[in-house]
This record gives sequence, C-alpha cells and structure tokens, in this order.
Amino acid sequence: MERTAEMTFDVVDVDERTVKVTLSGELDITNVDKLAAAVAPALERGPDRLVVDVGDLRFADSSAIALWVQWATSGPDVELRDVPPLLRRVVASMGLSGTFKVGP
Amino acid sequence: MTDTGPASLAVAGPSNGAAGAGNGGDMSRSAGRRGGWPYWVAVAVSVVGLVVTGVLVWVSASTYSSNENRLLNLRARDAGALLSGAYLSVQTPLASAAALADATDGDMTKFRTFIGRSVGPQGKGQYVSASLWRLGSGQARELTAVGIPPVLASSPARATSFFMRAAQARTLAVTGLLSAPQPRLGFAFTSPGLTGHYVAYAESELPASRRSRFQSSSSFADLDYALYLGRSQNNSNLLVTDLTHLPISGRRASIAIPFGNSVLTFVVTPRRPLAGSFANHLPWYIAIVGVLLSLGAGALTARLIERRNQAERLARSLELIADENRRLYAEQRTIAQTLQHALLPERLPKIQGIETSARYETGVEGVDIGGDWYDLIALDDRRLLLVVGDVSGRGVRAAATMAALRFAIQAYAAQDDPPDEILSKLSKLVNVGRSGQLATILCALVDVEARRLTVTSAGHLPPLLISDGTGTFVQSEVGVPIGVRSGATYTSTSIDTPPAATLLAFTDGLVERRGESIDEGLARLRRAALTNHVPLDELVGRLIEELRLDGGDDDTAIAALRWLD
Repeated sequence: MERTAEMTFDVVDVDERTVKVTLSGELDITNVDKLAAAVAPALERGPDRLVVDVGDLRFADSSAIALWVQWATSGPDVELRDVPPLLRRVVASMGLSGTFKVGP
Repeated sequence: MTDTGPASLAVAGPSNGAAGAGNGGDMSRSAGRRGGWPYWVAVAVSVVGLVVTGVLVWVSASTYSSNENRLLNLRARDAGALLSGAYLSVQTPLASAAALADATDGDMTKFRTFIGRSVGPQGKGQYVSASLWRLGSGQARELTAVGIPPVLASSPARATSFFMRAAQARTLAVTGLLSAPQPRLGFAFTSPGLTGHYVAYAESELPASRRSRFQSSSSFADLDYALYLGRSQNNSNLLVTDLTHLPISGRRASIAIPFGNSVLTFVVTPRRPLAGSFANHLPWYIAIVGVLLSLGAGALTARLIERRNQAERLARSLELIADENRRLYAEQRTIAQTLQHALLPERLPKIQGIETSARYETGVEGVDIGGDWYDLIALDDRRLLLVVGDVSGRGVRAAATMAALRFAIQAYAAQDDPPDEILSKLSKLVNVGRSGQLATILCALVDVEARRLTVTSAGHLPPLLISDGTGTFVQSEVGVPIGVRSGATYTSTSIDTPPAATLLAFTDGLVERRGESIDEGLARLRRAALTNHVPLDELVGRLIEELRLDGGDDDTAIAALRWLD
C-alpha cells in the first residue's frame, strides 16, 4: 500500500573534515530513513562540515527537514547548498534559517 | 475518511471480520462447483478430429480407388488396341495365302513359297505350322504343309467339321485349344473359289506353360494380365498370362477383343499403383497425421483447460487475498483514525462572546496515525489558548510525542505560563538528535474581552485573521521548532483584533502542495476563507473540502474562533 517517493543520493567525503551529500528527487517520510542510514557512518567519523546539495531536490517534507536538523544537532555545521526557492521558503517559515547555513 | 467514532469501531471491526470470512468460504465453495472448463471438451476435440480424419481418409481412399479404376480401364483399352494389331498379323498372311491358292487353283509350290516366310519355330514366325487344304464333297484333304505337321491333321473328322464351319464364317476361324506337347491354337481362312474351297490353315504354339511376361521396357510393364479365348475366364481357355495364380482377384479390368469368329478376353490388374505410390499411401498418411493431430489437439486442449482453470483458481484466491487486505487495511485505518480522534479534545470549551470550531482530517494515503493536533484551552472565563501543532513523521511514535506535547501544554497552561515560556519548556521535552522528531507549534493566546491576540510560533505557519473582507496572516517572530534545541527561547507578538474577526490556525497539510510555494497555498487559503460567508463550523468544513480537493496526502488540523459581535 505504501508508495515510496523517488529519491537518489550520493555521499562523498570531500576531505577529512567535510562530507558532501547530494540529493535529487523527492525526500519525504517514505524514504527518509534510507537516507539517514546511508549518511550515519559518515557522521560517526565526526566531520566538521556537512554539505547537503539540494539543487535537484524537488520536494522535502517535515521529516526530511527534521533529518537535516538532526544532522546539525549531532555536531557538524550543516550547509544546505543550491537551495531551490520553494525549499528556502519552507526553511525560513520553520524558523530554521539559523540552524543551518542556507547557502546560495 | 469518514469520522468513525470508537463505538462504531467496536461494532464494525469484528462484524466486518466475520462477514469477510463468510464471504471467503462462499467463494471457495463456488470455485469448486464452477470449476472452469470441463475436461470432456478435450476429449470432444479429439473425437471431432478423429471423425474428420476418418472422413478425409475415406474421401482420399475412394478418390484413389476410382482414379485407379479409370487408369486401369484406359490401359486395358490401350492393350486391346495392341492385340487387335496382333490379330491382323495372324489373319493377313492366311487370307493372302487362301486368295493365292484360289487364283492358282491350288498351286502348292506357290503356296509354300508365299507362306514359308511366316513359318518358323516358336518365336521366329507367326506360325509353327502352315498347310493348304481342299474342301470338297464333305471332306477336307491336306494338299501340302510347311513347318511341323499340323495337330489337326491327326484328326480328319475334326478337321473337316472345323473347316466346314470356317467356310461359312467368311472370316478368320479360330480352333479351340489344340492339345499337343505344347498347346497350339489353329487359324483357318477359307477362299470361296469357283472350283471349290481352298483353306489356308496355320497353327501357332502358345508359350511354354502358357506363361509369358511383358517386356520390362514395355508400356504395360506395370500390369499383370491374363488372356483367354472366348468370353469365359476358365483355365481351360487360358491362352497366356504372366501370373502363377488365377483367376485374377482384386482390382482388375477386362476387355473383349473380336478375334476372327471368336473373341479374346483380356484381363489386367495393376502390379503397382498406376497413379504412383504416394497417391496409394495418401490415405495412410492422412490417417496417421490426422490421428496424431487429433490426439495432439486433445492433449493441448486439456493442457489449456488446466492452465485456464489454474489461472482462474489463482485469480479467485488472489481476489480473496485482496479482499482480506482491503478489509484489514480499512480496519487498521479505522483504528488509526479512532486513536487519533481519541487524542484530540472531546469537546471545545464555551466562552462568552466567541464561537469556536476545529477539525482534524486524516491524509488520504496510508493507515498510519499522523502527528497533527489542535487544542482549545479555556484559561479562565475570558481568555483562551488556541494551539495547533505538527510532529514530523507518522505512526505511533509521532502520535505519542503529539500526546505528550498536548498534555504538557495543558499542564503549563493550567499554571498560567505565557505561550513563549510554554514553548521554551516544551523544547526540553523533545530532542531531534534522540528521536529524529521535530514539532512545529503555534500558540495563540486570545483575550476575548480585550480583543487582544498574542501569537507565539515554534517553526509554525502563521494564523490567518479575517475581518471586514480582508485576510491577514499574523506575522510574528518564528522560533525554531520544538526538538531543535533544548531551552530555545521564543518571542510573542501581540495585536489588537478588529470586531467580528475570525482567527484560523492550521497545519501545513491544508496549504502545502508538492512543487508549489507555501505562499501560493497560503494565498489559496485566504481566497477560500474570504469567499465563504458562512457559520464558522461550515467554514472550517468547506476549507478542508476545497483545499484538499486535489488530494493533500498529509494530515490536516484546523482550529478556529470567531468573535460574535
């Protein structure tokens, strides 16, 4: 019964202190656990920065945003990069503009 | 999506289950009874195939038979024409010799010279013996002979009576079979001369044992034959044959050929099929192929029937499973909805001077319980705390967090904490790092008499204030959602409300669409709210209906109040 939204991701260690996660498609409650599990090992290594490229992300629901906040509260500075206007507006409306850096 | 209360769930659940089980039993019984295509169809297909095969075999066999008969008759006629030619070669020398004797008045030397060319041992000449006879005063007398002595000469009485009959025949006269060491056949031709009858007589030997074959190069090499003198086919009349056993049985053709004053009967039978062996074997081929095809078609039909029946059985059981799944899904969904509603306020508080309304609507998809809620808490007889909140995620964990937050708010409100402090305290209850959950909450403290509204937001969408044909989203400083940071601080914004204002607080399910800015959703809500001039309860219902028409898949909670003057 439960449909799963289409989402692809890519986790890369840019350098020793920076992890980059590239997302595309739709990230919501149906697939957010998959992404969380995939990024968890990289977070355990304790990076200083986590760059989340959301340029190709068409949709993110509150569970997706909760996951990014979770990443931010677990240590690294989280930067959302290439944020589409719709998502930028959601992040602002939730009062999260100070929680992670919303890059260009 | 219908609002099913706990009481109806308690009744509906088990009775649905019982009905489902009963249905399942009925269907499996009817499946056994119906059973799809019966197997006798396969047998019928085979039988029909065999019958058709039989008809085809019969048609081809009878066609073959009539064809063979026609060909055999043609060949017999050809052979008859050939034999008629042979008759001429026997008659012509004798007729000429008789005429010569008549013209020369029985000159024996001329007769011998003339006929000698036709006499020789068997196989070399037409005759083995030729002789000239004179017939007069009731007696026949041999004048001269060439070749071996005629058998007939040894029996003068028989010779006389034969020649007498020959004289009347005016054509070639044929003796019966003459017995000798090797049987012979005698021919006589009589000349009705002026001075008396001269008879030219000759005898031919039949082949040894009367057996002879056509030459293999002959056009009749594919025929067996028997030649009889006269019309009856007795062994005593047999002239020649290539067969060892007579009479001929089976397929045969006979033809009667005039031979002087007698008749030859020629009987032929094919040695091998005249139209070729394929035509002969065709009925067998048809029979074998037809039987194999019929049995194959029967087997194939049986297999198809079995497959089809299997597929039908499978489809029926899948149908049953799908029914059961639908039933379980509906049941689970009903449970989720019931639980959700149980966690929401049973009744809204009544405060002088305002009316209130609230609705919760489940998302169209999924059976999970959502994390949205609303609450209206009367602080005293003139103040009210209106709350809407949304816990991220779904399921029992989201519902549990939602319940904890809702009851915590009620507790803090009961001790008269202001909204900013309530939210700050709530931020210590939830930790996104531990639970993965965030909650956005809007608290609106309403002073009914003072017409004053104090709004505090933890990451939540602003409420809509409608008055006098205009709608405004009440902007306040938006703090972080609950769960981001323990001990986060929040700032309240207060405004004075105009008379007869309507306040609508809601969760994002009402305005959020994939691929669309929130601002568009908010604008849509404002339009809908401004165009519906109806009582508050009805307004809330219409907003849910209109804005979720194109299928919001998220939960939605709305809480609303309206000043009555």
